[in-house]
Amino acid sequence: MGLNYYQIKKNVLKARKLVIKGTTAAGSGHPGGSFSMAEIMGCLFYKHLRYDIKNPEWDGRDKLILSKGHASPGLFSNMAVSGYFDESKMETLRQFGTTLQGHPDLKCPGVEFCGGSLGIGLSYSIGNALAARLDGKDTRIFTVMGDGETDEGQVWEAAMTAAKYKIDNLTVFLDRNFIQQDSYTEKIMPLDEHLESDELSEMWKDASRWKTGDKWRSFGWNVIEVDGHRIEQISNAITRAKSIKGLPTIIIARTIKGKAVEHMEDNPQWHGKAAKPEFVPIIEEELESQFMISPSIIAGDMTHLENEVKRCVDGRADYIHLDVMDGQFVPNTTFDNEKIKELRPLTVIPFDTHLMINEPVKHVKDYIDAGSDIITVHTEVCDESSFGEIYDILKSSQVGVGLAINPDTDLPTWSEKFISSLDQIIVMSVVPGKSGQTFIESSHEKIQKLAQNLKEHKFDGYIEADGGVTLDNVGACFTDGARAFVGGSAIIGQNDVRVVIREFRNKILRSRRKLLIQKANELGGTDLVNKWIDLHVVGKKKDELLQISQELGYQ
Amino acid sequence: MSTDILGDMRTEYGKSLVELGEQDKNIVVLGADTTDSLKTASFGKKFPERFFNVGIAEANLVSVAAGLAYSGKTSFASTYAIFLPGRCVDQIRNAIAYPSRGDKKGLDVKLVVSHGGLTVGADGGSHQQLEDIAIMRAIPNMRVLIPADSTAVSKLTWTIAQQYGPFYMRMARSKVPIIHNESQEFEIGKGITLRDGSDCTIAACGITVKLALDAAEKLKQEGISCRVIDCFSVKPIDKEILENAARETGAIVTCEEHNILGGFGSAVSEVISETYPVPIRRIGAQDMFGESARDNEIPELLEKHGITSVNIANMAKEIRSKK
Repeated sequence: MGLNYYQIKKNVLKARKLVIKGTTAAGSGHPGGSFSMAEIMGCLFYKHLRYDIKNPEWDGRDKLILSKGHASPGLFSNMAVSGYFDESKMETLRQFGTTLQGHPDLKCPGVEFCGGSLGIGLSYSIGNALAARLDGKDTRIFTVMGDGETDEGQVWEAAMTAAKYKIDNLTVFLDRNFIQQDSYTEKIMPLDEHLESDELSEMWKDASRWKTGDKWRSFGWNVIEVDGHRIEQISNAITRAKSIKGLPTIIIARTIKGKAVEHMEDNPQWHGKAAKPEFVPIIEEELESQFMISPSIIAGDMTHLENEVKRCVDGRADYIHLDVMDGQFVPNTTFDNEKIKELRPLTVIPFDTHLMINEPVKHVKDYIDAGSDIITVHTEVCDESSFGEIYDILKSSQVGVGLAINPDTDLPTWSEKFISSLDQIIVMSVVPGKSGQTFIESSHEKIQKLAQNLKEHKFDGYIEADGGVTLDNVGACFTDGARAFVGGSAIIGQNDVRVVIREFRNKILRSRRKLLIQKANELGGTDLVNKWIDLHVVGKKKDELLQISQELGYQ
Repeated sequence: MSTDILGDMRTEYGKSLVELGEQDKNIVVLGADTTDSLKTASFGKKFPERFFNVGIAEANLVSVAAGLAYSGKTSFASTYAIFLPGRCVDQIRNAIAYPSRGDKKGLDVKLVVSHGGLTVGADGGSHQQLEDIAIMRAIPNMRVLIPADSTAVSKLTWTIAQQYGPFYMRMARSKVPIIHNESQEFEIGKGITLRDGSDCTIAACGITVKLALDAAEKLKQEGISCRVIDCFSVKPIDKEILENAARETGAIVTCEEHNILGGFGSAVSEVISETYPVPIRRIGAQDMFGESARDNEIPELLEKHGITSVNIANMAKEIRSKK
């Protein structure tokens, strides 16, 4: 428990794969709502929820109540990853005789609520919260509700009750994925406003039209709104909710139904349908191909780094790359831990601290204290012993561990023993030291080889391409195997960071779509390629997929 | 007849809860804006921190009670019969009766209601719950008790507090004649033979037990020996006492303040048809709703549905001829 950002992310990925495994084996189930709450579950299971897999009825535990019980695969998969039972058990989902029932059931040790009939879980959670208060326990109750679920009148009976009794040992999540069984929530029973067309995106973008939070506020609740796929936002919201006394808290998590599998995303069809077995390897590849954009703020105005951080926030960066240069390992000097400490309160976006300094082992503690979420050090200034020391300090502080290599350096042999538990490997695609250099072309081949090699060594972190990454080469870097992308002048150097980050994502998405089509072709030829493309019915994804497929000569 | 001593079921229930609350701090009581009427408010005065009035929100009432029970409390949730099984059978089924772990079948929630049946009177058909036995009996893990008087209520409140798991207990609105001695024992799943007889049996529950006793007295004057059984435990039902009655008296009249479809009469018929089939007649609402009747008119309302001692006696005589 209490894992760092990267470990949570890795576990969320494992859990998503298990959701597919279980529902496909069962031939039915609810992947859509399991995926929309995947990051919420990840933050609970791997950071905030107190539990004991060996003693599921441990008196000191918190209680997780999955009120939207149809998303049971999303619960069971995390229970498997946590070790309540073996991961292979997911294949018994919905099977006769299993404890992994179609909806969560007390038959399965660790499950706290028999979900299934919607609208009951909040009242039940209040009962548990009141009992904890009577017993003087510091138990926390975490409840996850669906947005469609709140059509149920009982939810609002419970909402009033929680406010009346000032239930502050309860944190509720509303998985606001905008889709219920029949269609979009705003068409069936609007929580924000009635939707006439199928075009959700306009409403999604316009926060002034969201009224769900107002409903809860008017019922006397503390309301926190977050992006429900951002681990750092969810985690921060949970921490804030704990500190609120005298009223209940609901975290309204804006999510995407089917998140992380493009053809399931925002598609009401995937509320309650399992993927066909033939698509599973492609879906797994897609799940493993999540990516992150990490703008490097030194490419901006060094005298107003606060402002550069704010631009990253506005641009919805996945994390913020902080290049620390000491004037020794590299000729330039940028900033140190004191500056990072000043920047930390500005955002919860993870800080991706890249130490281009000599003797990092002497300083790593300072950068942990400054609030880094991951710290990457250079192999050129480490040996097995000093990196071992850094590794231990970072691991014990729940900070991600990264290793960086310069253009003319390969991973040293001593690093092999660490590879399987590293969170990130930075491949410098320019000579480090200053911003604005051109991408060294041979880096493509280097990343490709490295990706292959790391796979063999069971690396499950991210390869980060750093230096000269632009809109022109980011897609190729993805194809090479990079999954995190540092953008200096190509992002921070641009006027509209938000637009350029979106363009970066689109470029990468195109490469990913190509990768998946190639995978489909490899597995089942044109027939499977076309079936795969046909799954993508929402938005304009299908057009691009067809175009890619034609370019590849599959049509 | 007019010398009957009357007892108020709700008052006894409220008193027992307070006594229980003093002994066991795990007892919690929940209400839905009917706590004065149900006489649970006195528990609330004594133990305010263990008393929850959730307003007019029965589905919520039942589910909050379930949550408290899951966390180790013994929950008593009370309101009128029409609003509990009638309004929230889903929550009762899925949040209370269904959740089971190991030997613990269902959660430790006691649903104790008042205003069961036609004798609600003036409030009318919308408030006269005639389907609750049928609904609750069909839910696995749920036990159904229909006590006949305030003595039974008092003792059964203690009994169900001490036995783990879900119970449904229905009380009447009005004061009812006390028919049980203070020393009477009430065991879940056991009927009580109040009067022995050999020519036929009247099996009754709730307020109709008194009518059954009156009918038996009438029949005695006509030379007919009639056995009377108080089947307060409708589920689990006492198969043995019923089978013996069938074997020894050869005919059974059932009596309940409930629809004859799916209710107590149905339960008895199921047992008898599978053990020792004999003729049975079921007295109760004949698949009809009730209607308003002022207190002094309630006998007329009952008469319209055939729930009288005279009708019970007539049925007993008729059924004897079918033996």
